[in-house]
Amino acid sequence: MAIGWAEIFCQFLVGISRSMILFIVCAGLSFILGVLRVPNIAHGSLYMIGAFATFSISKMIGGTYGFWVALALAPLLVVVVSLIAERLLFCHLYQREHLMLILFTFSVSLILGDLVKIVWGAEYRSVSPPEILKGSISLLGASVPRYNLFLIIIGPLVGIALWLFTTRTKIGKISRAAAVDREMVGVLGINVSWVFSFAFLVGCYLAGIGGALVAPTVSITLGMDHTLIIEAFLIVIIGGLGNMWGALVGSLIFGVTHSFGVLFWPQFAIVFPYMSVVIVLLLRPRGLLKSVW
Amino acid sequence: MKLFRMKSFLPFLPILAVLFIIFPEGVQAQRPIKIGILDPYTGPPAVYAQDALNGFKLALNEINKTGVLGSKIEFTTRDTKFKVDIGLSMAKELVMMEKVDLLVGTINSAVSLAVSDYARGEKIPFIVWISKSEKITGEKGHRYVFSTAENTYMAGKAGGIALSKKPFIKYWIAGDDYEYGHAIADGIWRNLKALKPEVQLIGQSWWKVGEPDLVPYLTSILAAKPDAVIVCGGGATMTNSLKACKATGFHEKVAVYMHTATDHAVLKPLGREAPEGIMGTMDYHFYYPDTPANRAFVKAFQDAYGNPPGFPAFHGYITAHFIAKAYQKAGVIDKEKFIDALEGMVIDSPVGKVEMRACDHQAVLPIFLGVTKKVPQYDFVISSDIVTFSGKDIMPSCEEIKRIRGGR
Repeated sequence: MAIGWAEIFCQFLVGISRSMILFIVCAGLSFILGVLRVPNIAHGSLYMIGAFATFSISKMIGGTYGFWVALALAPLLVVVVSLIAERLLFCHLYQREHLMLILFTFSVSLILGDLVKIVWGAEYRSVSPPEILKGSISLLGASVPRYNLFLIIIGPLVGIALWLFTTRTKIGKISRAAAVDREMVGVLGINVSWVFSFAFLVGCYLAGIGGALVAPTVSITLGMDHTLIIEAFLIVIIGGLGNMWGALVGSLIFGVTHSFGVLFWPQFAIVFPYMSVVIVLLLRPRGLLKSVW
Repeated sequence: MKLFRMKSFLPFLPILAVLFIIFPEGVQAQRPIKIGILDPYTGPPAVYAQDALNGFKLALNEINKTGVLGSKIEFTTRDTKFKVDIGLSMAKELVMMEKVDLLVGTINSAVSLAVSDYARGEKIPFIVWISKSEKITGEKGHRYVFSTAENTYMAGKAGGIALSKKPFIKYWIAGDDYEYGHAIADGIWRNLKALKPEVQLIGQSWWKVGEPDLVPYLTSILAAKPDAVIVCGGGATMTNSLKACKATGFHEKVAVYMHTATDHAVLKPLGREAPEGIMGTMDYHFYYPDTPANRAFVKAFQDAYGNPPGFPAFHGYITAHFIAKAYQKAGVIDKEKFIDALEGMVIDSPVGKVEMRACDHQAVLPIFLGVTKKVPQYDFVISSDIVTFSGKDIMPSCEEIKRIRGGR
């Protein structure tokens, strides 16, 4: 079968757009990992809550603005949920060993999963993209869905915003410092508990944005949390734990190898992203970029 | 004191004796029939499992009003989590600890095949109500397994016949990478190739179950320029596929056939946004056939659960009726007699008479071929221009079953 440059280009764009959602979610996961040292398995559940909330809000508002309002509000709802979880549970457990934290966050993910089932039910849900982003446009002879192009634009914007936050704001700088040496930050008289809480919410907010952005491209179902969280951890690991740019590189590798795998060898497409993970880890066991651990 | 008590009890003895004579069955204390149900009640397939259970419960409410063999049918459920190992251990628990009289379930073909194997060893009847692998009552069929669901052979033959009448030559097959996806693809392709030998399979794509974003798959299929694409998936994948079709304009560029694309559970979430013109086959629609029996079932279901029944509800409903009627015919709670009674049994269902074929224990069910279309009366897309394939025409013959089972 002849594959033209147009198809390759189109597949590349589609791969990048998927990477952008992965990047936004993984940046949040990586940020929490870096600052709090918590491998938060419940991150996927927050992403799922973001998607379900987007469905409810956009349905409630309806019309052309429904999705945009949902995109703004759904991540905030996720922040509220994570604030409750953080103050009630997480904040008491930051100093525990990692195995304990994995078990704990896993159980939180199961609880949140069941809560989603109670609130939204087991039915599949779907959100339509806003009118302006419906359908596809022709780029160099290949058709690319408009919504995927929108994702390619919004991904870097979120990345830049996060970069500005961590490098230009005081609280962002403190968070980064806490990631490197939390005792030192405490010694300087900064309320570390408060910094941790804030950093946790920032990470969860990103999970919420990821959920809201993915909503128009997939059917929103129970179990979408588990599908995502495995990929997200792999990406964070190959990128370098706690490194935001690592999350970006990891997401791009994951998304693009997947979409090219689909194009060139569709029967075995599932294998490609995982193969790339194996290759990266063989060559650089501590991840591509510098880990903060 | 002791004597006094005895005396006061004496007058009741004749009353008891009379009761014994009037209600002999009640006094023999026929125990309730116990059914163990295995299905995933968590995760994406829960929507189907819950629907089947609701259909089953609706039928049981009717059945238990009069009772079966002087007692009731009771059930207990176990969550398989869509996993073979968990499903199998739950089946063992139901048989050994709960001492159920028969097993019912499940949506996952791999789980059903594993439980079926176990049921054969334990000599306990197992009725499969949603799984669609043709191996269940075909190659891997045996005395203890029954199916009240349509299977991939039937869907494949219906799809093959339907596609053979279309002008397409170059095909691409895509789907969920699991037992059901491959089984449905094999079924359709085998039948299509037999009916129209000039068709070509130019490529295949298989994605993992639950793959969220199918856009990269569809764009890469478009690059190969097939005439038609056969999508073989289940559940949430179907909604995802339709959504990706709409986003990429896929269905406007190539013809798309998906078994179960016309399923209401798949189309409803998309509302009026679902793509039109997709060919699909389905074994039950709440709006078709528009007969009094189907309308009555839909109304009862809607009143009880607030939404119309999906295809699993239909299968759950007929399963309960098959079970009740078979026990009534058998006359006792006995596994072997239950199986003998169920073989060849015919019941009235919302889609007309349904027979449990004796030779392979497969329910003879019709399949409806349609095309997705918007209609003014619903705020969701439905299947239209429906063509009905009767069960007899799309099932393997009893001789064929005997042959694939190696003469058993």
